[in-house]
Amino acid sequence: MSARTRSALAVFAIGSLALTAACSKGNAGAPPAGAGPSATASATSLTDLFAPPKVTIGTAQDSAGPAVAPEGVVKGGTVNMIDRDDYPHLDPGRVYDNVTANFHLMITRGLTGYKRVGKGDYKVVGDLATDAGQVSDGGKTWTFTLKDGVKWQDGSPITSADVKWSMERLFAPFITEGPPYIQQWLTQDDFKKAYGGPYGGKELDAVETPDDKTVVFHFTSPHADANYALAMTGYGIVPKAKDTKEKYDKEPFSSGPYIIAKHVVDKSMDLERNPNWDPATDPIRGAYPDKWHLEFGYQSLQVTDRLVADTGDDKKTFSFYSHVAAERTQQVVENPDLQSRLLKQPSPYGDYYYFNLDRVKDIKVRQAINYAWPTKQIMQISGGPASSVINTTILNPSVSGWLDYDVFGMKQHPEGDIAKAKELLAQSGNPTPTIVYGYNDTPTEERITVAIKNQLAKAGIKVVAKPMNTKTWYDATGKVDNGLDMYWSGWGADWPTAATVFPVIFGAVRDGGYNQSHLKDPAITAEIKRIEGLADAAEANKAWGELDKKIMETVTPLVPALNNVGLQLHGSLVGGAEIDPVSWVVSPNTIFVKSS
Amino acid sequence: MTAVTLSDARPGRRGDSFLSVQDLRVSFQTEDGVVRAVDGLSFEVEKGTTLGIVGESGSGKSVTNLAILGLHDPDRTELGGEIWFEDQELIGASRTAMERLRGDRIAMIFQDPLTSLSPYHTVGRQIGEVYRKHKGASKKEARDRAIEMLERVGIPHARTRVDDYPHHFSGGMRQRVMIAMALVCDPDLLIADEPTTALDVTVQAQVLDLLKDLQQQTGTAIILITHDLGVIARAAHQVLVMYAGRAAERGTVREVLTEPRHPYTWGLLSSIPRLGAPVDVPLTPIRGTPPSMLAPPPGCPFHPRCDYVAAAGPQLCTGERPDLSPATGHGDACYLTRAQKQEFLGQIKGRQ
Amino acid sequence: MLRFLTRRTLGAAVILVIIAAVTFFLFFAVPADPARLACGKVCPPETLAQARHNLGLDQPLFVQFVTWLAGIFAGRDYEGLGHCPAPCLGFSFVNHAPVFDTIVDRMPVTISLTIGSSVIFLLFGVGAGIIAALNQGRPLDKIASVASLIGASVQIYFVGTLAMYFLVYQWNVIERPRYVPFTDNPLQWAYGLLLPWVVLAIIFTANYTRMARSTMVEQLSEDYVRTARAKGMSSRTVILRFALRGTLTPIATIFGVDVASLIGGAIITETTFSLQGIGRLSIQAVLNSDLPMLMATVLLAAAAIVVFNVIVDALYAVIDPRVRLS
Repeated sequence: MSARTRSALAVFAIGSLALTAACSKGNAGAPPAGAGPSATASATSLTDLFAPPKVTIGTAQDSAGPAVAPEGVVKGGTVNMIDRDDYPHLDPGRVYDNVTANFHLMITRGLTGYKRVGKGDYKVVGDLATDAGQVSDGGKTWTFTLKDGVKWQDGSPITSADVKWSMERLFAPFITEGPPYIQQWLTQDDFKKAYGGPYGGKELDAVETPDDKTVVFHFTSPHADANYALAMTGYGIVPKAKDTKEKYDKEPFSSGPYIIAKHVVDKSMDLERNPNWDPATDPIRGAYPDKWHLEFGYQSLQVTDRLVADTGDDKKTFSFYSHVAAERTQQVVENPDLQSRLLKQPSPYGDYYYFNLDRVKDIKVRQAINYAWPTKQIMQISGGPASSVINTTILNPSVSGWLDYDVFGMKQHPEGDIAKAKELLAQSGNPTPTIVYGYNDTPTEERITVAIKNQLAKAGIKVVAKPMNTKTWYDATGKVDNGLDMYWSGWGADWPTAATVFPVIFGAVRDGGYNQSHLKDPAITAEIKRIEGLADAAEANKAWGELDKKIMETVTPLVPALNNVGLQLHGSLVGGAEIDPVSWVVSPNTIFVKSS
Repeated sequence: MTAVTLSDARPGRRGDSFLSVQDLRVSFQTEDGVVRAVDGLSFEVEKGTTLGIVGESGSGKSVTNLAILGLHDPDRTELGGEIWFEDQELIGASRTAMERLRGDRIAMIFQDPLTSLSPYHTVGRQIGEVYRKHKGASKKEARDRAIEMLERVGIPHARTRVDDYPHHFSGGMRQRVMIAMALVCDPDLLIADEPTTALDVTVQAQVLDLLKDLQQQTGTAIILITHDLGVIARAAHQVLVMYAGRAAERGTVREVLTEPRHPYTWGLLSSIPRLGAPVDVPLTPIRGTPPSMLAPPPGCPFHPRCDYVAAAGPQLCTGERPDLSPATGHGDACYLTRAQKQEFLGQIKGRQ
Repeated sequence: MLRFLTRRTLGAAVILVIIAAVTFFLFFAVPADPARLACGKVCPPETLAQARHNLGLDQPLFVQFVTWLAGIFAGRDYEGLGHCPAPCLGFSFVNHAPVFDTIVDRMPVTISLTIGSSVIFLLFGVGAGIIAALNQGRPLDKIASVASLIGASVQIYFVGTLAMYFLVYQWNVIERPRYVPFTDNPLQWAYGLLLPWVVLAIIFTANYTRMARSTMVEQLSEDYVRTARAKGMSSRTVILRFALRGTLTPIATIFGVDVASLIGGAIITETTFSLQGIGRLSIQAVLNSDLPMLMATVLLAAAAIVVFNVIVDALYAVIDPRVRLS
């Protein structure tokens, strides 16, 4: 769920204007040096903090409302939210990025969703559906039954026809922005060719509605994690009767706990309670405040300063995604008064320094570089242990089935193991290889590149550093024939399983594709196909975790990069604020306004 | 023609002259030191007459007149001596008193009418505002007066041209506008600082004749500053030749121009081309350059440029500065004897 | 005058079309593809083609440009979204609202910012410059020149951030800047924008102080100023009616440029104070590869400069009768 991260990275082109991207990730968004290490975080709290979240499949009982209330919850009041950008789409079918999806929790419901059971403990449950779905036909058929009492904002019941319609309209020409998975599974990879949407009167047979309460999906192949996919906002529901196609993006019809009372594009939005939303049907959304006032147009620096000052109405203010501004990080981290209002959460994204396997063909060289990698130095340059953690796997720890391993001893030798690297190089065909390293031309990246260059030189590897334009970074590195040996890239899973990681980043090699290491190992490709075909989600997750380690050991297509830690503040009268470990933004579901 | 008396004697209100300047000293503070631009100058002007002040640039003639009007920069200028305008002492007069006087009873015409007129206002307004300021006239009255003045100075179609801007006028016409502006309140004293220098010769004559005519009509006293003896000959009654901040010679126009006594005046006269003179006779400019007023030469300030130092006696010329003598009438400040002066003048005339 | 206006308007139109064309074609010279941004993270070819079609990017560049240009005069029809009446600058690639509406919505903020700060910096800048000139070499002059040196060397994001940090967050001297429409409440309007006005004015004032001082000093030694004094005009009249007049021309020149650039968007100021004006809009348009919005903001900035050039030229003729409009 990170389409925005991609465009957000382009945002860094104008880094000099201090326009810090909201959900920044990867080293491009690392705070500048000088943002020092945390003086307060103890060793135990670090372990605690960085414990990977647990996401499991919930039962029908778990799917019943109301939501699990956070400690000390208070109902009522108005909460304020300030961020940089307004939401590009109010039509759920056009939503892909985590920030917009997070907002849609307030006005849009889907068949499934993530229920917060406790800190770091989440369950995929039925949202409109009575459970997280019934699988049959070896994982090819998914059946959902709608709950009683689920209604649109006008009080009319939400029916299976609405759900079917919501899926069908995603094939229409005007929707291009959303996720493609369910459409592809129902038809074919290039799904727009298979079906043109329902507006011409043609139905999609792969989705059946035997009655008003039942929806059946017939996929062309097994998909064990369809309930994860359907939890995406892109599969949120749109009422057949109120669908205005393109215009729906401006005038959405709420199925969630709130209704948009007033919206001034790019400036502000006011939300009021939806009287036809029944908390008893909703296991996910707490919807504690009576009203929400959202304001846009604030840079992270302004958000940080306001929340630090915590005066007046700002006490009841928080931010969905604005991180503590890089220039205030040290100040905030070291201020003991702010610790109770400071949220920390490592990013759920994978960040990598890819090898171009077409050019760096010798695995010994790739492994030598992994051994020698100056992890600790990069961490210092990127803001120290308060703003990043060492990552040694391809999958992010937040992904279900994540297997913790450290093949190259990065945690043991964070400063790099030069001796081991030299040893491997001696065994390779070329003990003094040259590596062409492309990097984002930003001041921080420049310093990191120097650290990498100096470090690898100690092992006898010559690094030729190639600064590249930030705005065209992805286009340049995304070319198959990019002329580079190593380059950074990131990938965020669309839901917390590896099903949207490995098949993509080790998928088809093409210009503009996401297989940036150009890995074409038949054994690994076959294993990916096999796991994708597994009907049992738990079995699949375990297999993905093992595949992760296997790829690192047998191919070593990349060096895992540091995992950034998101830091966010909230006002002193805002309760239940927590950075969601999967979407990496503050969820509205648990937010409440304290009375004092 | 002895209504004007000139003296270089002791300071103080002298007789009942209309304008009496006594022992005027003007010095400026500059970064390099004190410049004594005027150093002990005295003269008098009577109503209805014109005093021509002649001298090279830097001789202090303009400074003298700016001092009379109080237009010097008070922060950097030091004034000494006395300036009596009728019964009023102008040195040390209050700012408002001077403002009341300027433009009303004492008016001034400047050298370059193009730069001296505001480019941003119509000539009618520039003339009229003086009238309004001093006579308390209404806008309409001021405008009518401006038209009248423009007519008087001989500007055709005054009624339409009153709304024109200075750049719409030719050089000579512009100077007529300046004169109209200066005379709008019928001043008792008109100071004309090089009024014709920026104009071509035929226009010069018209402007000088105009001044003369107006003087005859109104009886205004005029101080005419120029470096051009031709202008003096044409327009002045009395002449004051200035050199290095002091009078070198003074007398009536006839006296000074026909019987000049000071070697500097001889030099000035020799450097003028004359109509009818043979073109192959070279002009003889005064050698050397005017002295620096930061450190004027001791004794007679003209001696470094003077050909007659040996005749007058070097000790004299480099010793004390000579006084203007005799105290009244045709006087000069030179150590040469009367006989020597006549002899040398004869030689010069012969050469020409 | 009419001929002048006609000629300049035609010239301006040509310049604007050229600028629009250059912006348009330069946009496509950068390899960032707006259709790719309008397509999901995993983007099958047909979906990408569809996104390209939806944005009108599947047409030849020249056709796109002419369509866009024609839309300004004749309006355009957008499939599914309806008619976009003239002057139609297109729909934003990002928020899908008509660009013209967004511009109209943001203009009051930028204009308010411009008006308020320009009044302050013009009055204070020119005033301080005149006072300095009249007190040449005295302490007041020295204070003014040191102040303007400081003002000229600081940057808006420095002063602005500092002002926000201390005045707003630390000391609570003034409320956080916000925009209240003038028509809603003129007092709130002025109060809400006071801080940005002052901060923006600090940066600009220095220029005017220095310019006003040096031209005033020059003017005071002009012959016609001496003439005015010789006419018995009071010092106040001399300064206000004569000397000041001559300083207006160079001040009008820089004032025109400054106001035009402010209308084009005070990017940093608007960002620092979280004001939603044209500046923010333009920077967002660049970052989001939002072509229609980018075109509109570039065009607006260019139009502001062109228009203010004409105004300044016309103003020259008003200030100085020697200048002829031709």
